[in-house]
Formats: sequence, C-alpha cells, structure tokens
Amino acid sequence: MSLSADLSGTKGAVHAHRPTGTAMAQDRGRPRVSRLGLILVAPALFLLSCFFLAPVVLTGVFAFTNMSTSTGIGAGEYVISPNLLDDLADAGLSEEVVTAISAETYEITPDGIEAARAGGVSADFLRDIEGLLLGDGFDTARGIETALRGLPSAPRSPRSLKLTAEFFGHSVLNQRFDSAQELTEALSLAVPDVDAGIRSEIVGASYTGAIYTTENFTYLATQPSTMRLVANTVIYVGATLSIFNVGLGLFLAITLFYMPKRVSSFYSTLWLLPRITPLVLYTIMWKWFTWEDGFLPLLAEQLGLPAFNYMKGSVITAWMTMISVNGFVGASFGLILFSGAIRAIPTQQLWASEVDGATRWQQIRRIILPQMRWPILFVVSYQTLSLLSSYESIWLTTNGGPGKTTTVWALEAFKTALSSYTGNLEYGLGAAMALVLVVVGLALSIIYLMAFKFGELVGRPRIEF
Amino acid sequence: MTITTTFVRRGIAAALMSSVAFAASAQDVTITVWAGGSGEESNYRTEAIVMAADIMEREAAIRGDELNITIDAQLWSGWEDFKQAFSLASEAGNAPQIVVTGHEDIGTWSNAGLIVPIEDYVYFDSWPLNSIYPNLIDVATYNGQIWGVPQDAEARVFYWSIPALKAIGWTDAEIDSLPQRVQDGEFTLYDMLDVAAAMQDAGIVGPEMGFAPRVSNGPDYLQYYQAFGGEMLDAETGKLLLDTQALTDWYQFFADATEMEVVSETYLGTEWDVWHQNVAAGNYGTWHGGTWHYAQWENGFGLEDFFGTVQYTLFPAGNANGRANSITHPLVYLVGSGATEDEAMIAAELIATASEPRINALHAVKSAHLGISEVESTVPLYAENRWLTAASERLAPHANAIPNDPDFGIVWDAMFEGLEASWTGVMSVEDAVAEAEATVTQALGDNVVVR
Amino acid sequence: MMTRNFSTIPFIIVITLISMPLMVMYGFLILDTFTDAPAGELWPDRFTLKHWRFLYDFSEVGNVWVATFNSLTLAVSMAVIVLSVSSTAAYAISRLHLPFRRFFLAGILVMHAFPAVTLLIGTFFVLNFSGLYNTMIGVILVKASLLLPFGIWIMKGFYDTVPWEIEMAGVQDGASRFTVWRRLILPQVKPGLVALGVFAFLDGWGEYLLPSILAPGSDMQVLSIFLNDLIAAERVGYDFNLFKSVGVFYTLPVVVLFVIFQNRLMNIFGGGTKG
Repeated sequence: MSLSADLSGTKGAVHAHRPTGTAMAQDRGRPRVSRLGLILVAPALFLLSCFFLAPVVLTGVFAFTNMSTSTGIGAGEYVISPNLLDDLADAGLSEEVVTAISAETYEITPDGIEAARAGGVSADFLRDIEGLLLGDGFDTARGIETALRGLPSAPRSPRSLKLTAEFFGHSVLNQRFDSAQELTEALSLAVPDVDAGIRSEIVGASYTGAIYTTENFTYLATQPSTMRLVANTVIYVGATLSIFNVGLGLFLAITLFYMPKRVSSFYSTLWLLPRITPLVLYTIMWKWFTWEDGFLPLLAEQLGLPAFNYMKGSVITAWMTMISVNGFVGASFGLILFSGAIRAIPTQQLWASEVDGATRWQQIRRIILPQMRWPILFVVSYQTLSLLSSYESIWLTTNGGPGKTTTVWALEAFKTALSSYTGNLEYGLGAAMALVLVVVGLALSIIYLMAFKFGELVGRPRIEF
Repeated sequence: MTITTTFVRRGIAAALMSSVAFAASAQDVTITVWAGGSGEESNYRTEAIVMAADIMEREAAIRGDELNITIDAQLWSGWEDFKQAFSLASEAGNAPQIVVTGHEDIGTWSNAGLIVPIEDYVYFDSWPLNSIYPNLIDVATYNGQIWGVPQDAEARVFYWSIPALKAIGWTDAEIDSLPQRVQDGEFTLYDMLDVAAAMQDAGIVGPEMGFAPRVSNGPDYLQYYQAFGGEMLDAETGKLLLDTQALTDWYQFFADATEMEVVSETYLGTEWDVWHQNVAAGNYGTWHGGTWHYAQWENGFGLEDFFGTVQYTLFPAGNANGRANSITHPLVYLVGSGATEDEAMIAAELIATASEPRINALHAVKSAHLGISEVESTVPLYAENRWLTAASERLAPHANAIPNDPDFGIVWDAMFEGLEASWTGVMSVEDAVAEAEATVTQALGDNVVVR
Repeated sequence: MMTRNFSTIPFIIVITLISMPLMVMYGFLILDTFTDAPAGELWPDRFTLKHWRFLYDFSEVGNVWVATFNSLTLAVSMAVIVLSVSSTAAYAISRLHLPFRRFFLAGILVMHAFPAVTLLIGTFFVLNFSGLYNTMIGVILVKASLLLPFGIWIMKGFYDTVPWEIEMAGVQDGASRFTVWRRLILPQVKPGLVALGVFAFLDGWGEYLLPSILAPGSDMQVLSIFLNDLIAAERVGYDFNLFKSVGVFYTLPVVVLFVIFQNRLMNIFGGGTKG
C-alpha cells in the first residue's frame, strides 16, 4: 500500500508528482476552466461550506461572545424586569425612575376600548366593560383582571382576559420587545417624564441577547484550571500515542511480520475489531471489563488484589483505563501503517542481512526501525490531531472523573458548551475553547503538510489495490 | 393616557382571535411533554398530563366542543441530555409545549425567552392551583412572575443504619432521640464522622463504607454549605452570596473524612446502581439522599423493613456557624415559548388539571416525593403512606430551596468543582476555595457578594 | 517469509498476553449473550436465550427494530451521499482543470484532520437556520460532510491510478467527458467506491454523538442511542448480558461487512480518522 510506502523513507525513489504528463499537456492545451469540473465539484463545495466551513467560522464568531442558554443563540430581546431595575438601582438609577417604570396603572378609557375593539376583543365583552367599568382605575394588574373576570361576558381563557387588560394599561415591566426601538417607544409612552438619556441607557441594559466580548479568552488565560486541562491533555495525548499508537503498533507490526500467516492474520483482525465496533458498544465492553462485578475486579478479588471500579475508583486506574480505551483503537492505526511500511522494505535487504548472520534483533534495529522514521512521524502528527479533539470515548467511560482528574480540553469544551448539570450551557466559552483547538489543529496540520511535502501528496495516489 | 396600537404586545390579536376559534369548533392538538431526571418510577410526571388530557376532552365534550388532545410524552433519565435538548430545541423552535424540570432553570430559561409565564394562562386563585403551598409557588416565581406550577416537592435526608448504631453501643433511646439532637444542632457532621469511624473500627461496615454521600453533583452538596453557615443569597442585597468561610469548612470536612478513611478520595462518580445496592444491603453506616430514594430501595433493590433498620434525620449542622437543614428541589411544569397561543392555553390547562391532589398523589406515592398541597396529604393513597407522612412531618418544615437566579449555576458549578478538586486531593482546601472564589468573581463581578 | 528457523513461541505468548483484554472482552461479549452466570461469578453455568427476548418483546427496552431502521437509514444515506459527492468531486480534482485546485486540495487535507466534533454549536446554528435541527436529514448531511474530505482524498487517489490512455481513447471516440467518466472511469475505481462505501456505512452505523445532540427526538432514535440509554445513569439494575445481546445485534452487520470487505477496508483504515 502506497500510503505507507511513500512515507517509508525511500523518498529518493519518488518522482515528481504532478498529474501525469499527458494530463499536463491536456491542461495546457485547454487552459479554459472545465465547466464539467465545476459542476462535479459543486455538491462537495456546497456541503463542505455549509456543514464544515460555516461551523468553523461561526465557532470563531461565537468565541468572542458571552452566548449562553441565558442569552440564547441569535438575536436577543429587550426586557425590563424587576431584577434589572434592582441592578440599575444599585448602579445609581434614581428611585423615582424605578418606581415610575415599575408602576402598573390601568384605566378604562374610551380610547382603550377602541384599541381593544381594533385588537379583536369580542364586542359583548367590550359592551360589558364600557357599561360597568368605564372610568375606573386600577393600580395592579391583578386588580383589573379580577374586575374583568367579574363581567358576565368575560372570556373563559385567562390569557384572553389578561391580554384584554393590557389595552387599558401601559406597564412595560416584563414585556418582551423585539427591537430597541419598540422598547424605546413604549418607554417614552410609559414614563414620558424620565430623561431620554436615562431611558436609552435602560433600553441598552435591557438587552437579553449575547454581546461581543473577549472575556472568554481572559477567563481561560487566568484560570488555574486551564493549566490542569492542558496538562491532562498533554499527558493523555502523549501517553496514548507513545504507548499504544506508536509503541504497541510498532511492536505488533514487527512481531506479526515474523509470524506465520495464520497467526498474524488472526491478530491483525483481532486488533482491528475495536476500530469497527460501534463506540457505544466498545465503551460498554470496557465498563463490563473494569466495573465492580466486572471481569478485572472479579479476577482481582479471586487473586486477593484490591478490587474496585477501576474506571472510576482511583485516579491512576482511571487514567490507565482512559488511555487503554483510546489506545486499543489507536494501536490498529499504527499496526496497519507500520505493517505496510515493513512489507515495502525490499526482501533482498532482509535476506542479505540474514546471510551476514544478523540476529532478528539486529535486523529489526538496523534495517526495519530506520525505515520507520517517516511512518512514525506520520502516525504521531496525524493522531495527535485526532486525539486532541476526541472526547467521545472519554465522555462515555470515565466522563472525566474521578473529580476532574481525567478531563481533557476537548471534553471540557464539549461539557461547557453542551452538557451541564446546572443547566446554563455556556456556548460562547465552549466555542472559545473549541477555537483554541481549531487554531492548534490548523497550526499542526500546516506543519504536517510541510513535513510531508505537500507537493508530493497533492499529486500522488495514496492507495492502490 | 392614550394607548396606541403599536404599544400592544405582538400576537395579541392573534391570541384573541384564536381563543374565539378555540371555543367554537372541533380541534385536534398534539402536546409534547418532556420530563427530565425521571426514571421509571417517575412516569406519573407525564402520565398525569395524559390523565388531564382525558379529563379535558370530557369537559370539552360536555361543553359541546370537540377537543382531541394527543400527548407525546418522553422521560429523560438524566439531566444533562435533557437540558441540552430542551435548550437547543427551544432555539430551533421545536421544543415541547410542556416541560418538567428543576425550578432553578426558570431563571435561565425565562431570561432567554424559552418559556412563557404560566400565570398568563391560568388563574392561581382558582382550584386546584389555589391549594398549592405558597412557598412552592414562590419557588416557581422569578422576576415577579409565576412561571410554572410545582410538580412535586421533596426533602433530602440523612440516613443512619440502626443495626450499625446498635453494634457500636447506641441504645434505643439514643437512636430515637437522634433526629431531635440533629435538629437542635447538638449532633454535628463531625459527630457523624466519629460514628462512621467507630462502625468501621468495630468491623460492622467495611473500610471506607462508614459514610456514603451522594455519588454525583446535586443539591445535596449545597446542604454542606448551609451546614457550615453558608447562605446562597445575601439577605441584604438579594444577590448571590459566596461564603468563603463556609466553603473552607465544607471542603475541610471532606478532607477530614478522607483522612479518617470513612469515605474514599475517589468516591465521587460511584455508580448509582452500586450505591443503591449497598444501601439496600445495609453495607453503609451513614448516608444521605432524597426522600424519593426510598421508593427505589423498596421497589428496585429489595430493601425490607426500612423503619426497623434505618433512622432518618435532617442534614446535621457542620459547626456552630451552620444549622441542620434540608434542601428541597421541587420540579415544576413549564410551558415552552415555542407553543402557539392555542397550544399554550391547552398546555397550561392540562398542567392545572394534572395538579389535582388525587392525580398528583399518584406521582408522590409511586416515586416517594412529597405532595404539593395540604389537601393532597389527605388523599387516602398519600395519607396511608407511612414514609411520606413521616418525612412531611420531620423534614419538610425545615427544607429550603435553591435560588432561581440564572447565575446561580455558575456559583454552584464553581463550588462543586472546588469540592471535587479538594476531595480527590488534586488541590489543597485553601487553593480550592481560592479558585472557586476566583472563578465566581471573574464570571459574575458585582453580581455576587463574596464574604 | 524468513527462512531461518527461529522460535516464534515467546513472541506469540507475549502478543497473546497483550491481546488478552480484547480476547476476553470479545469472547465474553459473545458468550454472555446466550448464557447466565451466578451473581458475582465470571463463568456461566447455564445456557439461555432470554437475553435475546428484546428482539420481539419490546416491554423491557423498547422497539429495537425502529432504532435499527433509523440506523440503517443514517448509514445507507451517508454511504450514498459520501460516494456520489466524493466520486464526482475527486474526479474533477484529479482530471479536470479547476481554479484554485491546489488550494482546494490543501483545504481538503487540512479538513481531513480537523477537530470537527468540537464545532457542534456552529453546526447547530447552521442546522437551526436551515430548519434541519432534530431531523434525520440534518444528521445525515452533517455526518456525511464531515467524512467528505476523507472521501474526496481517497477517491482522488484511486482516480490518479487510472491510466490516462483509457480516458483519451474515450474522448477520441467522440464521447463527452461526462460519459467517459461514467462509462469508462467509474468502473476502474470500483474497488475504491466499494471500500469507501463500506467505510461510510460503518461510520454512520456507529455514530453516537451527532444524533444524540442534533436529533434528540425519540422517534429518530438510532441503535447507538438505544443501546446507551439502556446503561444510562440512574437507571436501576444493570443487566450487562442484555446490553451485550443488544450490542451483538447492533454489531452483527458490521462484522459481516468487515468479513466480506476485510482486505479493501484494511487499506482505507490507514487513512481513517478514528483515534
């Protein structure tokens, strides 16, 4: 397989990778952009822009907002709530203004009745109101509602009744307005005496939606927990890569290379199983393997060793479990690449070394391992990226515990944005954390493209059968 | 004062028109109900709505209207998935019309406009809503509006193994007087640790089995904060309060508990299933949970003779600053803002009907939650339940609720993360407190009082 | 391959030891689905078929067939979309003159290794905007798009190996480029199409995260969510044997596909994105 072959260090043998000569000639002969090509690429471009690029851009934008469940995603509304008035009063808003805004005054006037008629209130009900309540005033919403309920043609639905009452009052309190302008107008009707400057300040403060801010990054930069997350992530990626993806992958590839065909194909299949097993089942198998009454604890108990829930019961075993869960999947990636690279080594080279009396170990060290430099680099750089951003299997196993000891960056980003016990999902902060990953990922992929000579990869077939 | 039509809230006309239509002709409505944190024994959270729909259809038929209500119910066993799904579905405008959740979500969700105040749709001064305990209505109130109808109530309980207490030499009289001593603050959390250690030393319970707190984050842990003198709201300003002294004492308590080896450093995250099994098998010396756990132990885990083997008390005080307490975490029925006017009206009416004492008692008794009204406790099914009656008397009067402030989640998260860090030994108690304080002040600034 | 006789036994022992967790997990996975063990014991002592009751008795865990149908819809649609979109785009990139070709390819390569799963809030926003949130179509489009860079890259590799002469011959006979592609080139890359199709199917079949967040509605539950709900927190009384039976049911199609297409998949896994 050439993916591994082109990384196996026999770089000298690789020729210039461009579309084949004829193709070049063809291109040169027809410099016009292929319309068919554009049509053929269009669906891919469309899907990638919508569901790949757009989310990236949006994540970048959201990262600079304080967006959360509380602010909502998208445009907010303008609401003056009692709590907001309290806060504003603390900030120095005069008590008069607060009282004026929170006042609920209702008066049954002919104008109100006309407005209600235009608004769709039933004629019978309005006749009652006009006949029995005209001229009356109320200083609470409850007061006018009680009065309206007592009328013979009052609607059965509380909602209709309360909406009718609103035609006769002018409180802005707890009303939701779509735009600042609507609230400004309402406020100027409700409290015309309050200074326009103060009114516009109140309107500004009443916005419920998200605002732009760089606080997410200040927050991340100053929190001590950030460093712990980074440390956890580095340990997790480093350990999984070195022990499993590279270490075990290499060991399996070399050992299986020397094994009889039947043995080696049995083990390669076995090690591929975690990769094809649906993740949810795979994690359930690990639970069965490590939980109380599961395989390992029962075995340990019979051997007289400490038996407890290894996945969650101690920090050390939780780490071991978490790394193994990912590592047993990752090892097969190394196994496949390294096996391919080993098989690409010219057999004569190995034959010759045996004739020279080299032991297996010498053969591995002198011939095989030096050829593994590129594949190892490839596995490391490529898998660093996927491990950095993988959190599904941690989420479904240790869930970052015990405590937060096995929580990595990507998992914390996910939990911050989308999985909170206390309910306020911090989309903005979560996006900021994701953006950090995106930037790291981009930087790494650019380095990776340069290291593997992008020009060659671009023109070159990666897989053949 | 002239009222112009621009001032009229949007949708009024539509609402008034539709209510007219509602009264006149046949109508088919589908109401979706989601209930969070609800296992199999809590199915009456949605079943009650189904029953209410049946009643409403019959009432409509008698009035001469034809009304067909289809209820699409979904129980969510956890909270995280449920809250995520509701938040996102609301943003997308396809949220359920009725949602059953913890009252503390009211603050966040009402700010974002994800729910509508139910007081706009039902009268709280008519039956059956006028029978609901006023303090529960307060819990469903935020920003001067009543947003939801309380669905259940509860108390959190400290449980003690009677056989284990006896084995370390406690007399029946001492065991019987424990609830009173706890309530008076004579018997503290540290006394409890001594008891747990004594049980372990005597070999009655296994190592690190003397004390078994809740296995995951939950309002239970805020009881420690209160036990050491912490308050969640500043009485003076009404703002959120972070009491660093109480926090320090609380974290120190767990550091001491692990030091005494009555609970392990990595206890948090134990499987619920394992915890329930151990409780039912009498393997723990002391533990704490909710009133509703009783139903799970009896029905799911085969606990027999609860009253003969388990003593139950308030959550003990931690030191002289604090008090014995219990936190109630009522769930509420809320109406989603995605509902059309018609749907919202029907949903609210369904909720009101589902709050009939007899219907609510089905949930209360099946899931061992406390009732929502005085009159509910006279419903025979409820009245003859020994546990609910006992818990209502001994615990409920001392229970308080957590604030509805949308920022409280930040304080709560920070406090719990500090606990996790100091409990597992990742950080010292001082550092954990300092970090919690830093997180909270950074996130909330002037909106929190730190003491 | 090597001539010199040397003992492979110690290595077989070592490799067997290292592989032990896998053998145990998969061995017991199969064993436990039709046996029962006494409480607290590992080895089963009796044969039973009761763990498979979920196939027809929906009272305990719900209707598994609905979830199966949903999973099938997701996996098949994904395979179809990924195949059709990447086989066209890759051909254009491999053989036709396009502006920004190199830039596009570099983009594909970067996206291929991109931490896309962390972008869920952005994805939600797009789905919400297009009205596809909480729909199976939305999940399919997102999931397929995430796999596209990989698919295009792989298919481009296959097109690159098709001799140019085949195409030239077709063009000289007067056929359009499109016809040439459809009649002459596509059959040449069939192995790639099969491998990518199976890969995409498996990817969709095993997906958990996207449906759970982007389509949480109960009527669109896929098998992965169905299975995980069985073991969800606070659910009373774990029955690992039941989980495993549902799990084996869930994995059977995967194993069948794997056995049939093993060699082709081996090649493509090397470029796979799974950790």
